[in-house]
Amino acid sequence: MTGAPASNFAKEMERLEEIVRRLESPDLDLDEALKLFEEGVERLRAARERLATAEQKVKHLLERPER
Amino acid sequence: MGAPLDLFGAASAEGAWTVSEVTRRARAVIEHGLPPLWVRGEITSFKAYRSGHWYFTLRDASAQLRCVMWSSDNRRLPGAPVDGLQAFVFGRPTVWDERGEFRLTVVELLSTEAGGLWQLALEKAKAALLRDGLLDPARKRPLPPFPRRIAVVTSPDGAALRDILAVTARRWPIAEIVVVAATVQGEIAERQLVRALAAVDRIVGVDVAIVGRGGGSKEDLQAFNSERVARAVAKCSVPVISAVGHETDVTLCDLVADARAATPSAAAEAATPDRAELLAGLAIVGSRLARSLSARAQRAVDRLERTRDRLHASMSAHFERSGARLTANGAHLDALSPLKILARGYAVATGADGRVLRRVAQLPHGLAFRLRVTDGEVRARVTE
Repeated sequence: MTGAPASNFAKEMERLEEIVRRLESPDLDLDEALKLFEEGVERLRAARERLATAEQKVKHLLERPER
Repeated sequence: MGAPLDLFGAASAEGAWTVSEVTRRARAVIEHGLPPLWVRGEITSFKAYRSGHWYFTLRDASAQLRCVMWSSDNRRLPGAPVDGLQAFVFGRPTVWDERGEFRLTVVELLSTEAGGLWQLALEKAKAALLRDGLLDPARKRPLPPFPRRIAVVTSPDGAALRDILAVTARRWPIAEIVVVAATVQGEIAERQLVRALAAVDRIVGVDVAIVGRGGGSKEDLQAFNSERVARAVAKCSVPVISAVGHETDVTLCDLVADARAATPSAAAEAATPDRAELLAGLAIVGSRLARSLSARAQRAVDRLERTRDRLHASMSAHFERSGARLTANGAHLDALSPLKILARGYAVATGADGRVLRRVAQLPHGLAFRLRVTDGEVRARVTE
């Protein structure tokens, strides 16, 4: 079993928070603000979609317990 | 009783018994005369051998009785007794030929004290865990807020697993659940739980583990009070939530785990964020995003308008200044205009190529040229 089944949601949420914080700070030029906004909207959309459409995966460890 | 024993009858020609004959006969007498029975007394000189067999003495104020309890019988007990324990034992009186010793072969042992052997075993294990620092609250690790992979150590057919899967599917289907099967009850449970907990560490990307089972009797939960299982929980490299479905009793597994839940469902809730709450949180983030951008855009518009006003103001000032200069320059230019000169009666001759003809040499006999006067142009020819 290799690789994570889902990208890191904690990091995703942190990035979104950071984007909002930076957008809310007054000293930010408009170009950058627009870029950040676009990124924020995209990440938000992706996160929502993942939350709304995720379906649980269940695996059974193949090792059978010894009797 | 069979035939009366002839205690003084010689078994050999010399009239003496061999040692083996005596002990064998004594064993027959005792096993015949004393059926298996319950004996009550205080345990002393307890010793457990590596073979798993237990040897101890049961005594009261005036007598003592050697006892043995084979590993095949003591294996079912929660733990070994300690000296001083008041106990009921059920056993078969016999004679141990090799030692010529009268003794009791014990098949059952019950403590008469509150909680009995269960409590005793538990307290001993707890003391050992405490001594090794495994019950230190500082050891407890925080649970990950957004787990990607959750390992569940439990019976693959139990209600516990069903409950856990139902809760995680509703709250956090993003996480993958890896079921590590273990029997959670009976003699093999301890070994299987230890093995399964070790297996959790070999699964890549596990963020948190749940170990547990549904409710049961005290005996059913025995494996979760095993010191070995508790140590396996402590050794796990990811945070472990213990979920032994029993409201009143806290198991050793609970004490060592990073978090304790009263039921498997509660453990699944502790292990996962709720996506409904997260979606609500994301909606707030979205409106903050929109608000911050519109505020930012409004600031830009304000600034743009201020700039435009300043531009207008400076341009009109500039135009006023240059307007005055233009008027003056216009008059000057006007005076220099060639049209003005033509108006005064001069004419300009130009060749077919448009060049001005200034000298006689440029005007040979018969040349056709143009002559411009103030109100128009005429064609001309040199005749002389």
